[in-house]
Amino acid sequence: MSTNENNSIDTLGLSLSMLLLRLWLAARAIQTGIEKFAGTSSESKIVEIDGAANPYGLTEVTVTKAYALSNYHGVPESLYKPFASEPFIPVWGLNLYDKILGPALLILGITLLLGIATRYTLFAMGLLYTSLTYGLILINQSSGVAWLGIHIIMVVLALALAKYNKFTILKKW
Amino acid sequence: MNIDLTQLTRREFLTKSSLGAGLVLGAPSILKAKAPDAAADDIRVGFIGCGKQHEVLWNAMVNIPGIRYVAACDIMEKDRLSATYNRVGRAFGNKIAKYTDAEEMLTKEAKNLDAVFVATPDFWHAPHTVMALEAGCHVYCEKMMSETIEGARSMVDAMDRTGKLCQIGHQRRSNPRYQFALNELINKEHICGQIINMNGQWNRALSSSQDIVYGKPANLPDAETLRKYGFNAGANGQLSEQELQHRFLNWRFYTSLSGGPISDLGAHQIDIFNWFMGTQPKSVMASGGRSYFKDREHFDNVMCIFEYDTPFGNARAFYQVLTTTSAGGGYYETFMGTDGTIEISEREAYTNIYKESGADGAKWDNLVRRGLLKKEAVGQAAGGSDAIASYASAPPDKYALPGGLNKPPHQPHIENFFAAIRGEAELTCDARHALESEAPIYWVNPAANSHEIINFTEEHLHA
Repeated sequence: MSTNENNSIDTLGLSLSMLLLRLWLAARAIQTGIEKFAGTSSESKIVEIDGAANPYGLTEVTVTKAYALSNYHGVPESLYKPFASEPFIPVWGLNLYDKILGPALLILGITLLLGIATRYTLFAMGLLYTSLTYGLILINQSSGVAWLGIHIIMVVLALALAKYNKFTILKKW
Repeated sequence: MNIDLTQLTRREFLTKSSLGAGLVLGAPSILKAKAPDAAADDIRVGFIGCGKQHEVLWNAMVNIPGIRYVAACDIMEKDRLSATYNRVGRAFGNKIAKYTDAEEMLTKEAKNLDAVFVATPDFWHAPHTVMALEAGCHVYCEKMMSETIEGARSMVDAMDRTGKLCQIGHQRRSNPRYQFALNELINKEHICGQIINMNGQWNRALSSSQDIVYGKPANLPDAETLRKYGFNAGANGQLSEQELQHRFLNWRFYTSLSGGPISDLGAHQIDIFNWFMGTQPKSVMASGGRSYFKDREHFDNVMCIFEYDTPFGNARAFYQVLTTTSAGGGYYETFMGTDGTIEISEREAYTNIYKESGADGAKWDNLVRRGLLKKEAVGQAAGGSDAIASYASAPPDKYALPGGLNKPPHQPHIENFFAAIRGEAELTCDARHALESEAPIYWVNPAANSHEIINFTEEHLHA
């Protein structure tokens, strides 16, 4: 085996690694952004007793998941209140964050998927996950912090592999 | 009706209110509102108290049509009052009037209000309700009616005196699941047979029972405001701002501000015992202690037994409220009879019905066929080498209610209140019937303190 062969870099493998990271991070961001518009739609059926509608209003409910613009909630309700009571998070800032989080995830996910300014997109995504991490640190959600830490590692890995980024629309930046 | 409320204090309201006489518990309310000026008129609503329970009420009423929100009041201007103002604006696009003083709100806004929702700490329920009724408004007031039975009686008196409606927030009384269980399963089909025992609990884990701490103390009312509104009641000496703010956030721990866990949590379920039995208990024995939260004024754990005389024989109810464990699975009321047991809760997940092995199977099968019950499972004998077959009862079959409630638990009760204002319904829990049901609860803490059985007389229980 020659020395050249030992030192050669498997560029195909690295390009495919980068592609996989892009796909994973894009899917994660896009679907999370879409889920911000998720809600439920329920169908109630009145319970029949002796063949007639019961007079009490007892119902059987079937709940299905549905998406709509009106369902939008950037910061989940379960987290909004703990964040709002944190002195380091001003309510106006939280409300602004609540508005932009979903669209930001969608835009960053799509640009990453399409390969538009991949490095800046990854950097922005890293900043977004860092901001989420900061909030979770404040409310002592250690498992969430660890989970986002894994995201950051993947973003950093993708940035490190950016040289091998293929299948892009805008390679610059 | 316009009166000068600005000179009246909470204590004066209580002392000036006369006491009313009781009615038979369980009888339907005879109170009905006057017909509105026009059928299509919105009901104009104001809020007194914009804290956590107000949010629960808001979430239950925001989808009810025909309401116009007019004004709100809370002594915590930042975060609470402003949140309600924003909430109404976001939902309906209108601006409501904001007040930090309830008397001022009623003086200025009573002419613009049909109904007022009172969701303040217990020790303000009676003064706020009496003020609002006397200002000419119908009132929906959260339970427990008051921290004292005298306060609760003043509310009944004000309701009678003014002719206005006063609904108390025992929301299970309007819950179709509870109404169905009582009217159809217990009273009509007698699936329990003779109900001899009742059991209820509200058990909370330590993690849910800790002191409430507010992340932005600068937004809390200051010491002067809290003193003005009585949060120093019953205190020895001058309290610091921090101590007053602790009382503001944790008023449930203080004997001068609330009835403690037995009234805060127990009121809902002991009300169900009395409602379902159709009578008041004849005695109470109780035990309680500051077993874990040793610095709190109220008992952190209370157990009590009520004894009843019913048309079918004597019965007893055991109730426990524990703030140091979630053991036993949350909160429910159980009615145990000779033929079956109904274990019911506001949470559908905690609701179960059981048929005794000796009960008439054909009758229960017929109830399933007709749609009154759903059969969930056949009782399975546990078996095992530790079972002593000759001593163990055969396991009961498990059933469920045929349906549930497709809206927030408080919504039917608020809908009932609005329907009564429009003259379309009778209140399911007006102040008089609420007090007849709540009255025994006021004697649990005294029974636990004295370690003596309290045999109820008219003096104890009258409304």
